Amino acid sequence: MIANLRVVRTAFVLDIKQQAVDLFMIFGVVIQPLLIATMAIYMLKGQDISRGIYVVVGSGMTGLWTSLLFRGTFGINAERFMGTLEGIVASPTSLGTVVIGKTLASVSVSLLSMLCSYAVAALVFRLPLTIAQPVPFFASLVITMLAFISFGLLISPLMAVNLSLTGWVNALEYPMYILGGFLFPILLLPGWTNPVSYLLAPYWAARALHLTSSGVATVPDVLLCWAMMLLLGGAYIAISYRLFTVVLRRARVDATLSLM
Amino acid sequence: MNAIEVRNLRRVFRATIGTIRRRTKEVIAVDDISFDIRDGELFGLLGPNGAGKTTTVKMLTTLLIPTHGTATILGHDVVHGASAIRPLIGFIFGGERGLYWRLSANDNLRYFADLYHVDPDVAKQRISELLELVGLAGREDEKVEGYSRGMRQRLHIARCLLHDPQVLFLDEPTMGLDPVGARQLRQVIRNLVAQEKTVLLTTHYMFEADALCERVAVINHGKIVALDTPEGLKRHAEDLHIVEVEVFGIGHETVDQLRQMPEVDTVSVENRDQKQALLIHSRIGSAIVPQIMQSLDGNGIRLGKVTVREPTLEDAYVRLVGGEA
Amino acid sequence: MKRFSNSVRIFFSGAVLSYKALFRWFRLEPYLATKVIAPLNQIMFFTLLGTFATGPDTASFYAIGNAIQLTAMSGIYGVTMSIGGERNEGTLIYLFGSPANRLLTFLGRSLVHILDGMLGVIMGLIWAGLLLGVDYSKADLPLLALTILITTVSTAGFGLLMGCLSLVTVNVMFINNTVYFLLLVFSGANVPLANFPVWVQRAAHLLPLTRGIQAARQVIAGASFVEVAPLLAGEILIGMCYVATGYLLFSWFEMLAKRRGTLEAF
Repeated sequence: MIANLRVVRTAFVLDIKQQAVDLFMIFGVVIQPLLIATMAIYMLKGQDISRGIYVVVGSGMTGLWTSLLFRGTFGINAERFMGTLEGIVASPTSLGTVVIGKTLASVSVSLLSMLCSYAVAALVFRLPLTIAQPVPFFASLVITMLAFISFGLLISPLMAVNLSLTGWVNALEYPMYILGGFLFPILLLPGWTNPVSYLLAPYWAARALHLTSSGVATVPDVLLCWAMMLLLGGAYIAISYRLFTVVLRRARVDATLSLM
Repeated sequence: MNAIEVRNLRRVFRATIGTIRRRTKEVIAVDDISFDIRDGELFGLLGPNGAGKTTTVKMLTTLLIPTHGTATILGHDVVHGASAIRPLIGFIFGGERGLYWRLSANDNLRYFADLYHVDPDVAKQRISELLELVGLAGREDEKVEGYSRGMRQRLHIARCLLHDPQVLFLDEPTMGLDPVGARQLRQVIRNLVAQEKTVLLTTHYMFEADALCERVAVINHGKIVALDTPEGLKRHAEDLHIVEVEVFGIGHETVDQLRQMPEVDTVSVENRDQKQALLIHSRIGSAIVPQIMQSLDGNGIRLGKVTVREPTLEDAYVRLVGGEA
Repeated sequence: MKRFSNSVRIFFSGAVLSYKALFRWFRLEPYLATKVIAPLNQIMFFTLLGTFATGPDTASFYAIGNAIQLTAMSGIYGVTMSIGGERNEGTLIYLFGSPANRLLTFLGRSLVHILDGMLGVIMGLIWAGLLLGVDYSKADLPLLALTILITTVSTAGFGLLMGCLSLVTVNVMFINNTVYFLLLVFSGANVPLANFPVWVQRAAHLLPLTRGIQAARQVIAGASFVEVAPLLAGEILIGMCYVATGYLLFSWFEMLAKRRGTLEAF
């Protein structure tokens, strides 16, 4: 167990080291959310001024998702290209443990995007940015991280099954922003899509964070969100466990662990 | 006690060709091979490129699932007992890939040590010892992307020894190393065997197999064509004498002509700078020389030295794989 | 005469090769994902966000804006990549060493992306009509087509300049992503230009797409050629300026690289 935690920590540190120099990720984690925040701030101009924190949280969520999606999709595939996937699979450590470390790194770095949006909103646009219920907010943030990590665990093996699935990555970015209610409530969507939203942990994360930052959260509200995030997170982990087994078995049969 | 047991191992690859009308093509990479490797043995797998060496090793290191047949490592099945096997084995496929280029050697080694659940204190000690052993001490904080090929190969070697495995699979380990480095590595391999580790070595350097291995299996087109000690294998070519003729500029037709001669077994051509060396394997030894001279003369080929010598492992190998090497 | 036929040949061979390069990796699913689904997703997201901000009856504003902006997918990713990608492939030095007319070479390559871009916009407008209630009944369709063409060409021109810039600066994908998003923010696709500070509005009018989007909105609302002509003329002019600048920049780099012997840096 301790050995596995050590792997998670090492995978985390090494992933951060590699991310720091990756321009693509800098764009996805910093620039894109900032530009989305800018757009949202201008679009929502003339509206209720408390939108400030709303936009920061919302655009931060978009950064979290984009980062998770792209890194999850290309995580295992990148290892395959580098030739290091075999080294991991043949070791006593499970691939899932390594992916947890990498996903933790993605999620941590992308919290940066929320921070950047916050800084820009405060310094450039001079919007008031008080977080109405700070303790529940930060607690929600922690649970959000856990929920996103478990979601990332689901994406990784799914996208590793077949290289051609990675082509879908572009089409999956915005739908989560929409169904997750990141920058506008899901009330705007047709009713039949709501059940889909309810099955997505990011939706509950956004809901909790928006509620606690704008100050309208009641205890049952927030507890419901946390409960759903933990429940769904658990489900994602269970499914991904099964997925990893299947995917690895498949790869060993089809000889797709390496490119040769 | 057998460390490795292979029974009727087979691996077929299916490839699809074409975009609109897709056809499946089947390639039999490993075709029904069987062999045993004893505890503490240094076993060699010799064969030309594409013979199935790497595929065999990948099956034994639990990276590929065989299409048919079974294999066990230290009593565990490679398919069902994979998780029991993994902590006990180490392997190198070498080359440019398999390392994290953006990270330093130290980072790479620490990561792999963690992956193999090596205790951090033990790992620290072992990493510095291994860096010393492979000659990378002092350069461990540089990024791997700046390493030469030889340095990367050495790093691979250090990596596979981190967790002190019982069985080692070394796929062409001296490839890319300079002669001094290669010699040092061979000594390392001998030391490992002295520590009673089992080593499966693949190589296409004959003298290396001859010098290191207790037994060698020659593999070609996925099948084992011979399995014996190096001495035993040489006996395959015992009846052959090798006539080596230096020539200047010989063409395919002339070589084929020589191959057609009744007493000629195989002819292979080696390029040596401005000239070529014809290695003619024949049962009648030096008696074939006049015929060869006549044929070459008739084709107007200029000759250099002519020597007749004893067969080496390489000659046995060439005969076994039919001069295609 | 020979120079002319050579030039024509270069133009079309570039176009054909570009077509092959674009479709070499053609597989149905990623194509669908990137060319049909992803644009729809972008339009949906920003239209929903827009209606949240300014009310359900403003949906058309956002839908049209995004649909036209979609031309940047080909105009930037496609065109910028066709130049910047040369650098990645290492084939730029061969281009430098050839006697081919640079301008025609690059214009030829852009042709495919222009067609691709127009298709993307039309696809977007169809989605906007089907799902977001955009009403085309008052639109002069040929005029709309002209607007799309002009905007696409001008964006491609901008892409050419960006491609040249990517030769000497960072990673071309980074430029692609950043420029695409900057256009999304400042071209008036989602944010009415009046919301921006005056200096930003002025800068926005130096970008492609700004006038094109305005014109498209007006045409769909029923405007005639005469009414949008100034916008269209402005868009063409901007496009030509970008092409000219890109060409000059490229020639300058080439000369600099040859003079300084830094060809390998490319």
